[in-house]
Amino acid sequence: MDCNAARELLPFYFDDELDRATSRNLETHLDGCADCAATLIELDALRRTLREHAPRYAAPQALRERLQSLLPKPLAAQPRRMPRRWLAIAASWLLAFAIGGATVALLRPQGAHDEDQLARDLFSSHWRALAATSPVDVISTDRHTVKPWFAGKVAQAPVVQDFAEQGFALLGGRIDYVGSERIAVLAYRHGQHLIDVFVLPQTNAAAIGRHVQRLGYSIDPVSLGGQPAACVSDMDEAERSRFAGLLGEARQ
Amino acid sequence: MTTSQAAVGDLALRHLDAAYSLGRWLLGNEHDAADAVHDAFLRAARSADSYAGGNGRAWWLAIVRNCCLAKLAVRGKDRRNIAIDQVTTAQGQDAADALLAHSDVEEPESHVDDAQRRSRVARYLQDLPAEFRETLILREIEELSYREIADVLQTPIGTVMSRLARGRAMLQRALNPTYPEETKRGL
Repeated sequence: MDCNAARELLPFYFDDELDRATSRNLETHLDGCADCAATLIELDALRRTLREHAPRYAAPQALRERLQSLLPKPLAAQPRRMPRRWLAIAASWLLAFAIGGATVALLRPQGAHDEDQLARDLFSSHWRALAATSPVDVISTDRHTVKPWFAGKVAQAPVVQDFAEQGFALLGGRIDYVGSERIAVLAYRHGQHLIDVFVLPQTNAAAIGRHVQRLGYSIDPVSLGGQPAACVSDMDEAERSRFAGLLGEARQ
Repeated sequence: MTTSQAAVGDLALRHLDAAYSLGRWLLGNEHDAADAVHDAFLRAARSADSYAGGNGRAWWLAIVRNCCLAKLAVRGKDRRNIAIDQVTTAQGQDAADALLAHSDVEEPESHVDDAQRRSRVARYLQDLPAEFRETLILREIEELSYREIADVLQTPIGTVMSRLARGRAMLQRALNPTYPEETKRGL
């Protein structure tokens, strides 16, 4: 790339409007050309001057309030349009669909809500891990690399054991959020299946009391060497219960 | 208000500072800016049903800008305040050259304190022909992409690029008289 071409592209590069390949070519040129680099610095200086000295005006509070008053009131303040009973039924249906267990939802609405929230957090963490380049933040070489990594990062360090010999290889660990709590996650691989074991804080442990299934993935409450935990995977039932058995016997 | 009007209202309130700031820079004073934004809010609510999705912020700022232009057209007193659409690029350039000619006699950078510098920068920006000023504001201060700016200004994206390049060069020359004369860069 020569200087003429570079000069034409510089503003687009500066404004983030250049594709990656061309950007890289331009960067190579900039590395070797002080003149073009200086032009880029001038563009940046101008931007900083403008942001510093020609600030964005904030809308006056009076204007904001005036416009706000033209908007409809928040839902809570509006009169109910639907009969209450109808609403209650609709809500319980929603709840029932959401967790896939209608009876439980109707009998224990509050508990069901907690379970639903927790299940959603666990599933989404698992799906994120599946989509990510790596499902773990610390890679296991043996359990002595994984366990110390958690120290100081989560309230409760997990029991870590590799079950490679039994067909469940420990991949490593990561940290994730359940609600507002940071918890430890252990990732295992079994054949093509990725398995996440979430170490649950005591406050949440009771919320997952049974098997929950969604889109072919399941959550099973397990004991990780005595710690309450939840296991998320797409394995079939026999494999899940075999793995749960191994986790239950895990020892430090 | 219908649901779509409420949604548009929310959208407008979320980008109220951007709207007001644009109005303030286009119209030059607080009162007119607030008025124009208020008009825009009502107009946006009226055309809520015609909003077909896409970039909400650009759609809303386009309405704000149109309301500002309407105000400018009514005002239309001096040259600087002619509606933007009536200023051809050539005229804009003349105006800019006339304005920027004064900058050579400004004090050297190091002698001006912060407040002076601030008012100087604001004045130069305010003195730029509106078409360049609004493009610079949307890009450098509101951080819109070329596509979004083109949507707000209802111009082709190539026009956005050339106005941005010209506007930057003018401002750089005004702020720094030793900045080389605008070179033709094929834009």
